[in-house]
Formats: sequence, structure tokens, C-alpha cells
Amino acid sequence: MKPIALVIEDDEDLATIFTEATEAAGYQVEAIPSGDLALRRLEEVTPYLIVLDLHLPVVTGPQILKFIRANDRLKDAQVIIASADDRLAEYHRDKATMVMLKPISFVQLRDLTQRLRPADSPPA
Amino acid sequence: MIFLRKLFDIPSADADDVRRRRLLAILVVGVAVVAFIAMVAALFGVIDAGTGFAFLVFFLPASAVLVGCIIVLAINYYGSGWLASSLFLLFLVTVITFSDKPAEVVAGRSLYAYVVPIIMASVLLRSYGSFIFVGLSEIAMVSLARSVQLTPDVPAMMGFWIVATIAWLAARSLEQALTDLRAINRDLDQRVSDRTRELSEALTREQAETSKNQAILQSIADGVVVFDTGGRAVVANPATTRLLEQPVSRLVGKDIDQLMDADVPVAEQSKVRTLFKDGATAASPLNVQWGDKTLSLSIAPVQVASGEAAGSVAVLRDVTREAEVSRMKSAFVSMVSHELRTPLNAIQGYTEILQQNVHGPLSEKQRGVAERIMMNIGRLLGIVGDLLDQAQIEAGTLAIRDGIFAPAELIESVQSSVGSMAQKKGLNLIAEIAPDMPASLTGDSQRLYQVLSNLTANAIKYTDEGRVAIRFFRPDSGHWAMQVDDTGIGIPISAEPHIFEPFHQGDDTIGRRHSGVGLGLAIVKRLVELMKGDIKLSSRMGRGSTFTATFPLIVAEPVQEAT
Repeated sequence: MKPIALVIEDDEDLATIFTEATEAAGYQVEAIPSGDLALRRLEEVTPYLIVLDLHLPVVTGPQILKFIRANDRLKDAQVIIASADDRLAEYHRDKATMVMLKPISFVQLRDLTQRLRPADSPPA
Repeated sequence: MIFLRKLFDIPSADADDVRRRRLLAILVVGVAVVAFIAMVAALFGVIDAGTGFAFLVFFLPASAVLVGCIIVLAINYYGSGWLASSLFLLFLVTVITFSDKPAEVVAGRSLYAYVVPIIMASVLLRSYGSFIFVGLSEIAMVSLARSVQLTPDVPAMMGFWIVATIAWLAARSLEQALTDLRAINRDLDQRVSDRTRELSEALTREQAETSKNQAILQSIADGVVVFDTGGRAVVANPATTRLLEQPVSRLVGKDIDQLMDADVPVAEQSKVRTLFKDGATAASPLNVQWGDKTLSLSIAPVQVASGEAAGSVAVLRDVTREAEVSRMKSAFVSMVSHELRTPLNAIQGYTEILQQNVHGPLSEKQRGVAERIMMNIGRLLGIVGDLLDQAQIEAGTLAIRDGIFAPAELIESVQSSVGSMAQKKGLNLIAEIAPDMPASLTGDSQRLYQVLSNLTANAIKYTDEGRVAIRFFRPDSGHWAMQVDDTGIGIPISAEPHIFEPFHQGDDTIGRRHSGVGLGLAIVKRLVELMKGDIKLSSRMGRGSTFTATFPLIVAEPVQEAT
């Protein structure tokens, strides 16, 4: 069973690329285009990895991050902040597993998420 | 009294003439008074001289003398002083000649009375007048002597010439002294009048200057506030009241804290206070949020001519619009950069997906195209990144975040990112770390990486053969340096002063060949400065360039393991 990953990103193209990269790293990926949809989905699934944009419509990235860290079921999730806003990303660095500043390379994200995969998961 | 004063007030322009005629008037009035007393005395029989003919002997001559005096005074006042004096002296000589027995006048007690008109002549006429009256006196004497068959007293007559000479000399020196004195007086008068004129002119100028300065101060568009040595506002121009929205009467007497009061945010108040404390040394004006305006505030000490401090003057300028434009520009550049990055990121990502064969293998040609796309995306992202950094630098929002880093890792990551670029050009990329460099240091590794990769990429860009060397060393115990040295085309001396300016490139033709917007080195310099460092360039055309960035050495503290 592949670990579940959520790509929360409002830009359609970046969402596609991040999804391709995490899929290539061996995750079962779901892309979510807005903050409110993300919150609704997080009520239902327990992802192993979350790629999170910070500037999102309706509900922002930091609000989602706060929700994840306050939720016992989700608090162990690996969160990669993927943002172009270095100051905001830096501000939330301690709440995330890691920060990646846009532009984010497909290869970089694929290799990184591959390394974060649980040891018992099937190979990509 | 008024009549006497008028009598002595001789109407003449010649000062010597006035002096002589006034003296004559005094003498004549004196004689007239004596004559008048004699007349009165004779009339009342006070004097008799034992003759019993007091009236005949005293009254008539005294009356004649009085009339003579009046005539002389009239001539003296209305006519000629010279004529009046001559008449008076002639009268005196006549009186002396006939006032005593001829024997006494020729060789006796009355002889010496002639001295009086002789001396007076030198004073009342000209200085040489004494000689004329010696002559006249001696004619009178000799005539009298002949008439009574007596021998004139020749030694006495000789003596009169000596007296006349002395009188002449004395009168002459007196006249000379008076002339000199008058000259000195005239000179003094001239000087006093000159000085008075100068002073009045200076005063007029000063008044004109003051009113001009006042007018300038009133009409100047910038707010000007003058503070006394105690830090209280003493003068404020109308522009200040417009800027601070308070009437002058409410500004004067307040110190800077009271002026700022609730209008300036607390955080900015301390900056203003600091500016006030060392106003003279502050390099540039301070932008302060003052009410709903942004004001540029500069302060300079006021010194009087003696160099003594007389307070300070603050100049306020409304830069609300400029600040807004600058903020909008930075925000715009920042927004555009972010907006550009997203589609660029997408193009890059899709190209990588193709390159990584996610959707099946590519042909050799397709692979080549994908590589060219990636290369151009890299260039575009570099430019966008530079613009964003520049915008942050201008807006003052670019922050330095210190952390612990290993110099060796820094070099390695730069080598891995630009190594292929050097390899493609057939350049040797050398890295050296001096043995005395600490294994870990405190600093902003991301910004240091940005500086080093920028310098190295630049060096590779401008070097066609040879090598590019990266060196880390310690120039002294308190600093460490990163040096990038190449064997490239070099930078002309004329361009060296501008090399760190934004949007500058060493040479336009080179700029076109080696792409970029010319922000790289400007950002590098600003980053180095933000990290409290310094960057220097030494270069020789055709031989290569050496950039050396020096930073304060802060050795990272070994992490204390929690027990």
C-alpha cells in the first residue's frame, strides 16, 4: 500500500508537476486546489505527506498548517512548505518538516519525497 | 546776552578770520565797558584827578572812545575784520602816544605801552602785523620826540623789533597749530561721517538681508524648525504648520518629544531622537511616518560665527508621494517576480518531466530541445530572482538570517551548481580552503551561497580559457574572506568604480554576449554589506579579475548536547 500524499496547491500546472513528482517518488497522490477543500479532505484522510502552498484561496496555508499541528491524527504528517514567499515560509519553518522555495524542481521534489517515504512502503 | 552772543558770532566762512574778529570784538567790548564806566564815574564825580575838570578830562574822551568802539564793532561785524582791527590798533597807538607827557612816552614809563598794540597786531591782523605796528609806533615815537626835541630811546626801539619778532613767531606757530588742529578736525569729521555712512549702509543692508531671509524662510516649501540649545523650538515657518497640521504658536516652545507626541509611531520616535542626538554625523535624512504623511527629516547643528553651538535646525519635507511610489514600485516588482516565477516554475517542471521520461523516452533531438529550454528557464529565473532581491534591498526588507554552516559545504554546493558550466567551457574550477579556516562558522549560508555562486558564475562567464579559483582564508584573526580569482578578460580601470552599481555591465558588447540584467554584482555588494562585510575588486585587462569579500569571523559555538 502506497503512502498517501496531498498536494495542496492552487496553481494547476504546479499542482500537476508536484503530483507527478510525488507519484514518481512512490506516493498515492491527490491534488487539492484550495484551502477550504483541503481542510474538508483532511477531515477524511490521514496523509503521510503534505506538499503545502502558503498563499491559497479561502483558507490560507498557515491556517491549514495550524490545523494539522493541532490535530492528533494529523500531527505526525510530513509537511513540505512549497512557497515563493521566503519570509512567510521562514516564519513557519519550525512547524514544517522542510521548506522548499519556488521555483521547485521536479527532480528535487521527487528525490526529496522519495527519501521521506516510510521504510516499509513499496518501492516507487 | 543774546546781543553780545550775536556780536561775537561773526558771519564769515574763514575760521581764522572769525577767530581774529571775535577776539577783536571781545577786546573792543572790554574797552567800551571801561569807557562807559569812566563816563559814568566822571558824570557822578567819582573821579576827579585833582583837576576839577573831571567832565572835560574823562567824560568827553570816554564818550569819544565809546563811539569809536561802536564804529569799530560795526565795521568788524558788517564789514572787514582787517579794517576794524587796523582802526582799533591805530586808535590804541594814538591813545598811547598822547596819553602821557611826551618825555614819558619817548623815553619814560609809557614807552613800553607800545608793546600792547605790537603784540595785538600779530594776533588781530596777520602774524607779520606786529612788524607794521612796530614801524607805526616808532614813527609816532620819533615824530613826538622831534616835536619836543628829545632823543628817542634807540635800545627800546630795537627791543620793540625783538618783541615783534617773538610775537610774529608765536602768532605764526599758533596759526600753524590751529591750522593743523583744524585739518585734524576736518579729517576726524570726515572719518566720523564716513563711518556713520558705512554703518547706516551696513544697517540698511542687514535689514534688507534679514527681511530677505525672513521672506525666504516664509516662502520655502520645506518645513524649517529652529531649536535652541535646550532643544526647544524657537522658530517654525508656515510650511511646518502645513506639514505638522499645527499653528506656529503651538509649535514654538515645544521640544521634539512634545512635537512628535501621538503623531509619530513609538518605534520611529527613538530613531528621531537618535537623529537629534547626532544630527551632524547622520549621513542621510530619516523618513518618518508623521500622522498620515511620510516626512523626510534632516537635522543640522547651528553654529554662530565664533563656532559656538546655537541649537539645531530641522528640515522637514513631505515625501508621502515618493514613499508611496517607492513602496508601490517594490511591491510591483515583487508581485511581478512572484507572478513570473510561477509559470516559469511550471515550464521548468514540465520540461523536467519530459527529461525524466515520465511520459516515455525522448529522442536525441527532443532531449537537446528540452535541455535548451531548461537552460533558458535557468537564465530567466536568475533574472527574476535578481529583480526580486533588488526590490527587497531597495525596500529594506531583505533580511539576513544567521545560522551555523560549514565553509567546505558552501564551496561544494557552489561547485556542484556551476561546475558543469565551467566544464562546458573547458575551465579548471579550483577550490582551496586555508588550513586555519574553522570547520564551521556563523553566518547566513543561503546569502553567502548567493554571493559565492554569483561571483563564481560571473568569473566563469567572463573567462574563456585558464581557470577559476575559489579560495577561503583568514586575512586576519577577526575576519575570513572568500576570493574568486579568474584568468578572464578582466575589467577596465574606468569601469571599476561602477562595477557594483545596479544595471551596470563591464562592457556593452560583453553584456550582450553574456546575458543578464547587470544586477548580480550590485546585489552581491549589498548582501556582503548586509552581512557586515566588504567586497573589493582588483583586475587587469586581459589577465583576469579577483573579487575578495571579507566578513567578520564568528566561529560557531559547539552545540551543547542536552543531558
